[in-house]
Amino acid sequence: MEKIIESTQNPATNHNRIVSKEEWILERKEFLKKEKELTRLGDKLSQERRKLPWVKVEKPYVFEGPDGKNTLSDLFQGRSQLIVQHFMFAPGWKEGCVGCSFGADHVDAARMHFENKDVSFVAVSRAPIAEIESFKTRMGWRFKWVSSYGSDFNYDYHVSFTEEEIKKGKGYFNFDLVDVHEEEAPGVSVFIKDETGNVFHTYSTYGRGDEKTISAYMFLDLTPKGRNETGPNGNLTDWVRHHDKYNHSGYVDSTGRYQSLEEDSCCGSKKEAI
Amino acid sequence: MEKIIESTHNPAKGHNRIVSKEEWILERKELLKKEKELTRLNDKLSQERRELPWVRVEKPYVFEGPDGKYTLSDLFQGRSQLIVYHFMLGPGWIEGCVGCSFVSDHVDAARIHFENKDLSFAAVSRAPLAEIEAFKKRMGWSFKWVSSYGSDFNFDYHVSFTEEEIKKGKGYYNFDFVDVHEEERPGASVFFKDETGNIFHTYSTYERGLEKLLSTYMFLDWAPKGRNEPQDGSGLTSWVRHHDRYKNEGYVDSNGRYHSQEADSCCGSKMESK
Repeated sequence: MEKIIESTQNPATNHNRIVSKEEWILERKEFLKKEKELTRLGDKLSQERRKLPWVKVEKPYVFEGPDGKNTLSDLFQGRSQLIVQHFMFAPGWKEGCVGCSFGADHVDAARMHFENKDVSFVAVSRAPIAEIESFKTRMGWRFKWVSSYGSDFNYDYHVSFTEEEIKKGKGYFNFDLVDVHEEEAPGVSVFIKDETGNVFHTYSTYGRGDEKTISAYMFLDLTPKGRNETGPNGNLTDWVRHHDKYNHSGYVDSTGRYQSLEEDSCCGSKKEAI
Repeated sequence: MEKIIESTHNPAKGHNRIVSKEEWILERKELLKKEKELTRLNDKLSQERRELPWVRVEKPYVFEGPDGKYTLSDLFQGRSQLIVYHFMLGPGWIEGCVGCSFVSDHVDAARIHFENKDLSFAAVSRAPLAEIEAFKKRMGWSFKWVSSYGSDFNFDYHVSFTEEEIKKGKGYYNFDFVDVHEEERPGASVFFKDETGNIFHTYSTYERGLEKLLSTYMFLDWAPKGRNEPQDGSGLTSWVRHHDRYKNEGYVDSNGRYHSQEADSCCGSKMESK
């Protein structure tokens, strides 16, 4: 493939090499072999993921939902598998992180289908339920979203950091000790409930581990320009916004918080960000 | 990993092996290494995909849209990149294929974002526009969907088959000669428009190449039971339904067409399908 990579771009016209359909098919078929290997490797890792051991959840976590208290067991909503999105939204933030909102925009579409395959979904954040509800209404989401305010849940699953950790600048995230400067980090955790009601933690993923559920990225990966994240942060904060903020002049900081440039804005202004 | 795979499942309880959090983290970190390799390989292939040559589109395709005739150029809707989803809805079908509807359920969510990254989307089907519009309304989709009725477009991009091909039982699909029994097959094609208005075909993908656009599958791949589709190759047709049909008794045939089991059903009954 190196030959192709080197010869493909014609900088004078900003075009890739232009070929006949017959020539294109020959190169496309070569590339298809690699794509099929990638698909098979994805299948293999999904299989290995399903064979990881489980950890029994012993702590009686309680969450605040719009309808009152929910145990972790309640969040399964009658199904045996539960995916928790650890949504970065700390007390007082007024709005959730932009990257988490980007992920969340894809959930209700998928939920119509996977709820018919024995999987429930819930977002969990540390913000009090009233703050969650108000942001959720603004974004028009329908998935279940509960508050872990005052609970150990976010700390036990390594997506919130204590004041002490932030002061030291070091915390445990994505299965490693890393630099932490913010209270919250994103992640996904998966649980299963057996017939006798025991709940087990089966999987967690952080960092780029949740990208494949963000179909906007998967569409962009098919295109000539790709994700094209060439701004200062080199990631989604360069261009992704809350879906109601694409035509606003604000920016997203490196931790995923939206910062308005409008002085009189009510939400997410620099003053209000912690 | 073979050791882990063999010892992990306890069939007596329907549980995987239960371990302490510390032990779990050790095994999870091993899988994480492989997951990171998969992410990097995906990045690498996305890069190679962008370096494929292009084919200039010479034919003046015309489509019928809700507001009149569209050229291929019009479908770019002011952006320079276009993804066409080849939606299996032949003339007279009344409703689209279940798998294509499954894909389409994910599009509007992703579109909110990727339209801000110079990418437009259009679904194209051979059914006349009135049939497309009626089904689109039922499904509540808002993406652009045009008819290629009477055009060569679907045949040139190898997603519709001629009567002759169906009679012979052989057609060109997914870059190979394969058995074909139906008029329509699914796929996605990507186009680029340069500053002078020239259009180039950059990429097409078919079959499992479309899976990564389905965040439902990507969520299920995290869950202990996975996609959990039968080994008989029926795939998504074993469980996926039009999102308004999950509670119905019908079934989906191997071509992705829904069949009602209610004799007096108005839609998608066996009698009506070809």
